[in-house]
Amino acid sequence: MSSARFSTKPASPEAAGSRWMRSLQGWLSRWIQRRGPVHPPLLLGYRQVYILPTRFGWLVALLLFAMLLGSLNFNNNLGLFTTFLVAGIGLLSMHIAHRNLEGIRVQHCQAEPVFAGQDLQLIITLQDARKRARSGLIAEIRPLRRSRGVGLQRSGRAELGLPVPTRQRGWMNVPRIRLRTRYPLGWFEAWSWFWPRQRFLVWPQPADHAPGLPHAADQDRHSHPGDESDEFHGLREWREGDPLHRIAWKASQRHQTLLARRFTRPDQGQLLLRLADAPGASLDERIAILTRWVIDADRGGFEYGLDLGATSIAAAAGDQQRVKCLNALAELG
Amino acid sequence: MTQKPSQATFLLVIGAFGFAVFPHLLAMPASIAGLIVLAIVWRAIAAMRQSGPPQMLLRAALTFLGLGLVVMNFGTLWGRRAATVLLCVMLAAKLMETFRLRDARVVAALCFFLIAIQFLFSQKLVLFGYLLVGCWLATAALIRIQGDDDDLDACKADSSTNPGVLSHGLMLMALAIPFALVLFTLFPRLATPLWGMPDNALDGKTGLSDEMSPGNIANLFADDSPAFRVEFDAELPAREDLYWRGPVLWRFDGRTWRRLFYSERAPERLPEASSAPLRYSVQLEPSEQRWLFSLDYPATWPDEARLTADFELLAKQPVTTLMSYQLSSQPDFVDTPELSGVLRRMALELPAGSNPRSRAHALELRRRHADDRALVDAVLEWFNQDEFFYSLETAPLGRHGADEFLFDLRTGYCEYYASAFVVLMRAAGIPARIVTGYQGGYWQRSDNYLLVRQSDAHAWAEVWFDDQGWTRIDPTAAVSPSRILGGARNAVADARNWLDAEWLYQLRNQYDRLQHLWNQRVLGFDALRQQNLLSGLGLGNIGTAGQAALVIALAAIVLGPLVFVLAGLINSSQPRGRLERSWDDFRHRLEKAGLEMPAHETPMELAQRASGRLKNGHELQTLAERYCALRYGLIADPIRVRVQEKQFRAAAMAWRACFEPLNSRDGPID
Repeated sequence: MSSARFSTKPASPEAAGSRWMRSLQGWLSRWIQRRGPVHPPLLLGYRQVYILPTRFGWLVALLLFAMLLGSLNFNNNLGLFTTFLVAGIGLLSMHIAHRNLEGIRVQHCQAEPVFAGQDLQLIITLQDARKRARSGLIAEIRPLRRSRGVGLQRSGRAELGLPVPTRQRGWMNVPRIRLRTRYPLGWFEAWSWFWPRQRFLVWPQPADHAPGLPHAADQDRHSHPGDESDEFHGLREWREGDPLHRIAWKASQRHQTLLARRFTRPDQGQLLLRLADAPGASLDERIAILTRWVIDADRGGFEYGLDLGATSIAAAAGDQQRVKCLNALAELG
Repeated sequence: MTQKPSQATFLLVIGAFGFAVFPHLLAMPASIAGLIVLAIVWRAIAAMRQSGPPQMLLRAALTFLGLGLVVMNFGTLWGRRAATVLLCVMLAAKLMETFRLRDARVVAALCFFLIAIQFLFSQKLVLFGYLLVGCWLATAALIRIQGDDDDLDACKADSSTNPGVLSHGLMLMALAIPFALVLFTLFPRLATPLWGMPDNALDGKTGLSDEMSPGNIANLFADDSPAFRVEFDAELPAREDLYWRGPVLWRFDGRTWRRLFYSERAPERLPEASSAPLRYSVQLEPSEQRWLFSLDYPATWPDEARLTADFELLAKQPVTTLMSYQLSSQPDFVDTPELSGVLRRMALELPAGSNPRSRAHALELRRRHADDRALVDAVLEWFNQDEFFYSLETAPLGRHGADEFLFDLRTGYCEYYASAFVVLMRAAGIPARIVTGYQGGYWQRSDNYLLVRQSDAHAWAEVWFDDQGWTRIDPTAAVSPSRILGGARNAVADARNWLDAEWLYQLRNQYDRLQHLWNQRVLGFDALRQQNLLSGLGLGNIGTAGQAALVIALAAIVLGPLVFVLAGLINSSQPRGRLERSWDDFRHRLEKAGLEMPAHETPMELAQRASGRLKNGHELQTLAERYCALRYGLIADPIRVRVQEKQFRAAAMAWRACFEPLNSRDGPID
């Protein structure tokens, strides 16, 4: 089983900085983790919420300093009052920003497996634990420049889906997630860090051009498995990769979700997809082709099994079989 | 990601900017103001039509046009007004290209700066309202912008989640006010400025100038704004003694009277300070001039001023902020007993060949009256008896001003009379000079201070008697005694315009009391008063560090509890209606009565679960049904729904849970 470490290199040029920078990052992460719980479920308490002025906040501070100096110099009392009023507003906004984040419970992070190259939808569930409504909560993965925002009703719960790009098959570690808020004025940014407890499985990327299914090519020359010439079998949820003309538009509208027509052949044979049969120079190329076969076989409604040399999966059909096979392919190595 | 805020956000930012820039617009040249208004209006229309920014070339051209206009109008980019106008122009130009959130943010934040800058020019009471409203709008705009920013991250198409930014902004600002007050009173002040004030800082605050040509003061008569206020230690002197001495003018070129360079010396002899009977404090409105006003003759004066040989008080710096000073005066003082040859010549000088008729008349008078005093009396009597009129509406004077006035026009006000009188005196060989200043004032009985307005400006004469020194002679008083006794308003027969209505005048006087309090308590608060306040609290010598600690402690006390209230208040992004609140209230009461209330339960579920344990459970069922129908049902007739809501609220309020006897296994806790 290979564990593909998540690499931030290509996505973020600045993260590929000096070693010094990286060691500082490491030290920072360890320091944060020493301060208290960092894996969901966790309650963002005072020790988890950090706050600093934003760049805009510094600009306002500079402006206020100029106003203060000028007003003091001329003993301009209304000018001074304006300065102090705005300073007071700023101070309040600092507290509000902090309290906007404090007392949020990060329940869990979940994600459905995706194929490498697709975005992993990381669903983060937040819950207000202090009977306060919150606005402008934004979860982000800093080096990836991905962010999603959400608000919370009083004692409410909300989910946000943070897209995380994937590159390699295998188990992926999602990097540190930053939950931040700049509410209400954007002068201060309060934030917390947390790491998802679990790793997420990434399926191999299916090959774009794969030879036809090994067994189908032998037995059936005039038609591809499971195409429209076959018997209509039923509907199933539309998946990435299904041809558009298979979408059952009318049914989809009724069910408020995309449905694809499914065709099967009454006299299905069993397929055995073998790693050894897949052409390709490297292991990963062959895995890609095998992945494509699994998808095609599943779409065709075949019963199929997998032989990966060390492991093998008995023939079966259906979603469960598909997931089982893809998982095995993801972990192979 | 393109950061495109919503239309409402922009309108709010434009509104905040328009409000903040408004008083500046009034003070700047019309051409520049027009340009800025144009930019604002254009931007508002663009926001409404959702169109894009104008061409780069057009924007640059407009910016340079504004820059050019500033240079043309002010001749410089330095100086306070010019720099402020430039800032306004630049911000208006910025507004033209403000189509992204970060630009909108900068404009909104600079609104605070614009507001603060306005107070360098004026700190009137009404401007406090401007401060509050301006800060409120800018804060609301910033909240709105941040809301848009967050919505962009949340990938929402429209930003309707911030319905109450105005009320949020108001709340935020209202809660910051106590904090601002603490800082205002306790923040250490500078006793001496770090740098000086540039000249020509104020808007059209002319006040008295240091020269006079008949017709000059006229624009002051129309100006009812206060010049200064006086509080007397003892009682108010008689009205006819209230001559507030300003610039003393000697040199006459036939048209204009000017000061004498010679006067800059210090006086040779001073009134004795200890016996001076008049003690008073003056609160001078900013005038951009250095003149301080005093009654004759100042015996003690503040350190920031000096006394000239003509007993003029001159501040060392132009008065650009409200200034308070203490004075004492000795009215019985006799000025320098001797007039040196040079000064006598100066006091007799007239431009050659001017005013021949006046000269002839003066010589004629001289022949009849050998005594100086008799001659003066004769002239005053002539003014009084012959057909001379006091009026603000008169003709300008030509080359032989005194002749035209004395023999043809005979209608004018103090400047005309003083000028002609001094010309006559000089022609008759009596040394004479002109004094300008203010006369009289309005006595605020309730607050015991004298309000002297710009319209009280006056000019009179001083003549030299060998035994008595310089003696004040007011020719205007001879023509129109009511000018002296009742003020300039009473001297003119008909009101200048409808603004002169009596009740309005009274109202303005009442308003001035507020303004006076404002000046004294708020604007007059400085390092010295701060120290006095702290001493009064027994904290006289805590030092700057102690003061800082005090500020922090008090701020924490003021701010601390607020913060806890606040986050919940401001953050309730979904305002609950009356109906929902009454249901919440209802649930709350049930909970208190002993029913547990899981948050997930719907009203119907609640009723079903609880009604078994209650005697009057069916009533609860009915209430829940009514609530659901009102809350989630189709609205057929809004008026009937409103009536039903009202009935429901009353019913929910009146309903009390009535539990079954306590024999069941899950009875109430209580």
